[in-house]
Amino acid sequence: MLGAVLLAASAATVAPVHAHHSFSIFDSAKTKVFTGVVVRVNPDVNHLQIFFAVMNEERTNVLRNAKGEPIIWAVEMAGSAQAARQGISVNAFPPRTIMSVGLHPLRSGEPAGDRGDSPLFKCPANTPPKAGKHCDSVEGHVAIGTGKLPVATDS
Amino acid sequence: MRNRVWAAGVIVMATIIGLSVAAQNRTAPAGAPAAARSAGRGAPVVYARDFQPIGPNATGGRGGAPRGFNGSARDGATPAGITALPIDIFTTKDFYKDRALWSDKRYFRCNAGAALEAQWGANGTEIIGPKGPATAAWGYCDRDMPRSALVSPYPFKTAQAHYEALLAEARAKGGPTKHTYATVPGEWTGRYQRPAAAGNDTWFFMQKVQISTVLSLLTPEYQTRTVQEHFHQGNSNVAHWPSQYCWPEGFMRRWHPAAVGEHQIIVTPELVQLMTGVARNFVTNVYVGRQFNMEGAVPRLGADVPRWYGETIGFWDGDVLVTWTSNVQGWKTHATFEHSSKMQSIEIYSPRRDASGTFLGLTHEALLYDPEAFVEPLRIVRDLNKLSGPDQGDPYTYIECVQTIFPVNGKATPLSPGATFEYEVLDIFGRPWAHMWEKYNEKGMEKPRNDDIFDFSNSNR
Repeated sequence: MLGAVLLAASAATVAPVHAHHSFSIFDSAKTKVFTGVVVRVNPDVNHLQIFFAVMNEERTNVLRNAKGEPIIWAVEMAGSAQAARQGISVNAFPPRTIMSVGLHPLRSGEPAGDRGDSPLFKCPANTPPKAGKHCDSVEGHVAIGTGKLPVATDS
Repeated sequence: MRNRVWAAGVIVMATIIGLSVAAQNRTAPAGAPAAARSAGRGAPVVYARDFQPIGPNATGGRGGAPRGFNGSARDGATPAGITALPIDIFTTKDFYKDRALWSDKRYFRCNAGAALEAQWGANGTEIIGPKGPATAAWGYCDRDMPRSALVSPYPFKTAQAHYEALLAEARAKGGPTKHTYATVPGEWTGRYQRPAAAGNDTWFFMQKVQISTVLSLLTPEYQTRTVQEHFHQGNSNVAHWPSQYCWPEGFMRRWHPAAVGEHQIIVTPELVQLMTGVARNFVTNVYVGRQFNMEGAVPRLGADVPRWYGETIGFWDGDVLVTWTSNVQGWKTHATFEHSSKMQSIEIYSPRRDASGTFLGLTHEALLYDPEAFVEPLRIVRDLNKLSGPDQGDPYTYIECVQTIFPVNGKATPLSPGATFEYEVLDIFGRPWAHMWEKYNEKGMEKPRNDDIFDFSNSNR
């Protein structure tokens, strides 16, 4: 994989999680895969969250709702300290960072999900993937975790 | 009669000016006398207690005391000898457009920050005037602390350089001191008086500094943020104090008079802990002898995660504790200003003793480095007066904040159990107070636009 930087090979293994909520809120049978633009990292002690705006298919901008507002999703993962040791932090993912990730969505249908075992790929600065592609296809990307992006079961 | 009143006022003001000028020359070294020879601690202090409150504020009223007024004019009047600006923060339609006026204290009607915050009655008695903001009261335009009293007197540009210079001084004397349980100053352990006790105020209380002077300490972006807060406290009367929503207090609230009560200090050779709080807990753990990880956006001890109160290392120089705090989460302190996640501090705790050598407490000298928010490092010096050992007094109460006040349509509203309202989930790390102001209270204003972070039509692809 050209230019890939492996930050934490152990990240994709099942790490001990000190959960502060039940994961039954997520539908583990479903997987969505997104490429999005980071708007905020919430370094919560219990579960770090990345809020991102979903990119359009052309990867030139983001999808918007009827009001013209970006469609924001949240992906949560391990606590902020554990995530930081994998390379996921406020400083490593400033706003406008482009990233790709798989997640198990909420059963409720709200736009959020659990990262589960998905690796996370960060595009180089100001370099979105080509249309329909994800950050793992961009030369110079950063890979966090091992393996490939999961196959989406849910669009 | 009116002329006699004004004449008397002029005499009073002239006296106050004289006192203020004299006070500016009254300085005293911070900490132990030996520290005065240091390049990075113990420089003379211009104490806020030597200055008059700027106001305006109501006085008395509680406990049957007669009500009074500390200010130069109210109810729409303009102070004698002062020419009001055509537009000020109480009359403007768009404070963003008034930037050129922000450096003029008259734009704030010579209010101190804490006084402006209290115009609508934040502290119990409103003085805003019969016709709302247009009739807001004036403070004393001839009162202020010198800017030099607010900034660092030391030559260091960074906290790291400051810390290393103090460490070098300690090394030159054979230090840093490696204390054992037998030698560590255990007399520090105990309870300390609430710092805001009478006579122990600092400029950061925002009662004795003109807002325009405070703004001169800040970068343009943080000036804007500060004026935004003042506008919504003094004009639109929409205060968003973090602790009212059980949000974090933030690093700088450690120096706010209302945010901290008594302090509890525990001293060991390798760890010193300071605890205090009112609405939230402030726990400062000083890891003595440890080193920061310097690889990252800011120095840190643990993971790359900004911490609300940072992470702190330190060393002993005899019986003086020198500390360095970094990895702080940016936030705000109402009535003062915001700080960024670049904030770092050097804090020096020096023992104070009476003539007989009896330990009285600590002088706490703080140097604040925030290159994103401040145009130069700031300095706050205060005394922590020991009350007793841990064998007396009430125990420290660990605080859990239970929210009873909620932002309903952008306004702080106390709600009772069973009440329902539409709740907007706020971006806590995105200045949630400003989001609410901009959504509900700034219609028609032209806020400076941020870059569009979603447009990649001119990307590197």
